Amino acid sequence: MTSEAIAMAPVRHSAVREFIGAVATIMVKELRSRMRGRRAFILLTIYLGLLALIAYGVYLISAPATSAGFGMSANASAMVGSAIFMVLSIFQLILICFIAPAATAGQVSLEREKQTLDLLISTPMRPGAIVVGKLAAALAYVVLMIVAAIPITAIVLMYGGATVMDIVHQQVVLLAVAVGLGAVGLFYSALLKRTQAATVLTYITVLAMTLGTTAVFVFWMVFANQSSGGFDVGPRKTAPEALLYVNPGVAMLDVISATESTSFGGISSMLAGLRGESVTLGGNGMMCDESGRCQPIDNLGNPIDPDTIGPMLGPGYWWSRISITLVIVAVILTVASMRLIVPPGMRGGLRRRHPGPAANLVTESADAGIVPMDPTDD
Amino acid sequence: MTVTPVVETRGLVKRYDDQLAVAGVDLWVGPGEIYGLVGPNGAGKTTTMKILATLLAPTAGEAFVTGIPVGADPIEVRRRMGYMPDFYGVYDDLRVWEYLDFFARCYEVPARKRPTMISELLEIVGLSDRRDAYVETLSRGMRQRLCLAHTLVHDPALLILDEPASGLDPRARVEMREILKALSGMGKTILVSSHILPELGEMCTGVAIIDHGRVLRSGSIRDIERSLRASALLRIDVLGDPKAADAAAAWLGTNPRVGDVLHVAGSDGVTRIEAAFDGGAAEQASLLHAMVEAGHAVVGFTQATSDLEEIFLKVTGQADGEEQAA
Repeated sequence: MTSEAIAMAPVRHSAVREFIGAVATIMVKELRSRMRGRRAFILLTIYLGLLALIAYGVYLISAPATSAGFGMSANASAMVGSAIFMVLSIFQLILICFIAPAATAGQVSLEREKQTLDLLISTPMRPGAIVVGKLAAALAYVVLMIVAAIPITAIVLMYGGATVMDIVHQQVVLLAVAVGLGAVGLFYSALLKRTQAATVLTYITVLAMTLGTTAVFVFWMVFANQSSGGFDVGPRKTAPEALLYVNPGVAMLDVISATESTSFGGISSMLAGLRGESVTLGGNGMMCDESGRCQPIDNLGNPIDPDTIGPMLGPGYWWSRISITLVIVAVILTVASMRLIVPPGMRGGLRRRHPGPAANLVTESADAGIVPMDPTDD
Repeated sequence: MTVTPVVETRGLVKRYDDQLAVAGVDLWVGPGEIYGLVGPNGAGKTTTMKILATLLAPTAGEAFVTGIPVGADPIEVRRRMGYMPDFYGVYDDLRVWEYLDFFARCYEVPARKRPTMISELLEIVGLSDRRDAYVETLSRGMRQRLCLAHTLVHDPALLILDEPASGLDPRARVEMREILKALSGMGKTILVSSHILPELGEMCTGVAIIDHGRVLRSGSIRDIERSLRASALLRIDVLGDPKAADAAAAWLGTNPRVGDVLHVAGSDGVTRIEAAFDGGAAEQASLLHAMVEAGHAVVGFTQATSDLEEIFLKVTGQADGEEQAA
C-alpha cells in the first residue's frame, strides 16, 4: 500500500476499541427494550423480597434449634449464619441455572424467527461483537440479580459463620455459572433455527451438566468399587473428577462447605469423598470461635493444624476449578456461536481487517459521492 | 478513465443442494442508475441480491460492489451498500428514532452526527411525526419506509432493495416510488427487484428480466421493447362516426407495412384504431401523410409505449418455449 493510500483511508479505531464499541451498540439496543417499563424493576423487587423472606425463614427455623441443647450456644450464632448462607446460596444457584439459559436461548434464533438477523449481519459489525454483545446484554439482568442480592447475603456477616471471602467466592461461582450456562443457551440459539428447540436443548444440556454429571460420577464410583469384590478393600477407586468440573452444584457446595460448623458437617466430608479421600479427620468435626471461623478438631477436641491435613482436603478445591472451567466453556461456545452466524463461505473475508485494494477504492468512492466514514468520535 | 460500475456480476452461480437458483447472471449497473431486477417469484432475484449484500457466498462467478469483490472484502462492501430484504422484521420494542440510532451505531456513524442524520432520514421517508412512536405501532407501509431509512444511515453509494413495494397498497406504492426517485436524485445507485415489471418500468433506467436463474433480457425498457417487437404499435385517433373509422381501418389494411388492425372504443366522436406497423419514424411520418391525403380526419397519431406486462410475459414465455423446444 502506498503512503498516499494510507493517508486517504478513513481513520480506524484500534480493533479493541472498535470491538467494545460494537458490543456496547448491541447492549444499548437490547437493554433499551428489556429494561423499559416497570417489568424489570418489579421482577427484581420480587426476587429480592423472596430472598429476604427465605433468609428470615431459615433464621426462624435454625435459631431455636442451634441455641437449645448441646451446650453449643457460643457457636449458635455462627450456625444460624452458615445456615442462612447455605440456603440462600443454593436457592440463588438453582434460580440462576434456570434464568441464565432462558435469557440467552432466544438471542439469535429469535432474530432469525423475526427476520431481523439479515439486517444485523449485513452491517459492518463483526460477528464476534454481535455475539458477545448479545451474551452480555442477556446476562446483564442476571448479573444485576446476582449482585443485588449481596446485601441480603451480607446479613450472615452479622451472625458469623460465613466471612466476606465466602460471599466473594459465592459471587464468583454464581457469575461463572451465569456466564457458562448463558453461553450454552447462546450456542444453541445460534445453532438452531427455532427458539423452542434451542430452549429445550439448552435445558437438557444444563441438566446433563448438573444432575447428569453427578449421576454418572456416582454410578462410576459404585461400579468401580464393586468390581474389586466385597467392599472397601484397598484404596477406594473414584471416577475421573474432571467429570464434575462443569457441575455448578459441586462448586456451590464447596463454597458452602467452608462455612460449615459441626451441625452441618456433611458437605465437606462428601466433597472430600468425591476425590477418594477418607474423610473423617478422626470423626470429630469442627470447632468454631466467636468470629465464626471454624477449625477441624481431633478426638480430644484439640484444633488440628490445617497444614497437616494438606491443601487438598480444605474447602476451595472445587469452586475455583469449576468456575474456571465454566468460563472456558463460555469462551469456546461464544466463539462457536460467532462462527455459526457468519454466512457460510464468508469467513475468510470477514477476518481481514484492512483490505488490500483500499487504495483505489477510496478514490473511487469519492467519485461516486460517498462520504467516507469518520469514526473519530463516538 | 472508464466508469467503475456500482454493481457488477460476472457469471454468478448459486447452487443449493439440488437446485440452481442463479445460473450465470451478468449484471452491470452504472453510477446513479435505478436498475430493476424483474422476474417471477423464485427466479433468482433474491439470491442474486443476497450475494451482493454479502449474505450468501456464490457457488461460482464474481460479484463486485463499487469495484470491491464481495467475497474477499464483505465488510468494506457493507459500508458502501444498504440492503433491504424482501422479508424482514423490525425490533418491535424500540422507538423509531432508537431503531435508526441502533443501525447508525452498527455502521459506526459518529455520535455527534446521528441526531441530525436521523431527522433528515425521517424527513426523506416521511416519518418525522413518528419519531418517538414504537416501531410496532407503524403500519406496513411505514415499516417499509423505516426499513428503507435504515439502509441510508451510513450514506451508502448503493441501495439493494428486494421487493420494496410488495404488500403495499397502491397509495403506499406511489409513495415508495417517489422516495426512490428522490433518492436517485440524491445520487444513489439503486438496485431494486420486483415481480411486476410495470411497477419498475416507469422509474428504472435499466432492467434485467430474470427467470430460472438466467438473465433473459437486459437494458433499458425501450431497448427491450424494441428487441421484442419487430413492429411498433400505432394508436390512431380518427374523428367522425364509426363508419369513418371503419373506412380508415380498411384503408390502413391495404398498406403493406400495416399488420393487424383493430378498433378500440371511442368517445366524443373520436374512434381509436390500433395497428401493428412495421417501420421506423420516417415510415410512420409518410403513413400519416398518406392517411391525411386520403381524407381521413386524423386527430391523434402516436406510437404506443410498451405495455410492460405484455413484454414481461412475452420474454418469460419465450424462454419457456425455448426450453420446451430444447
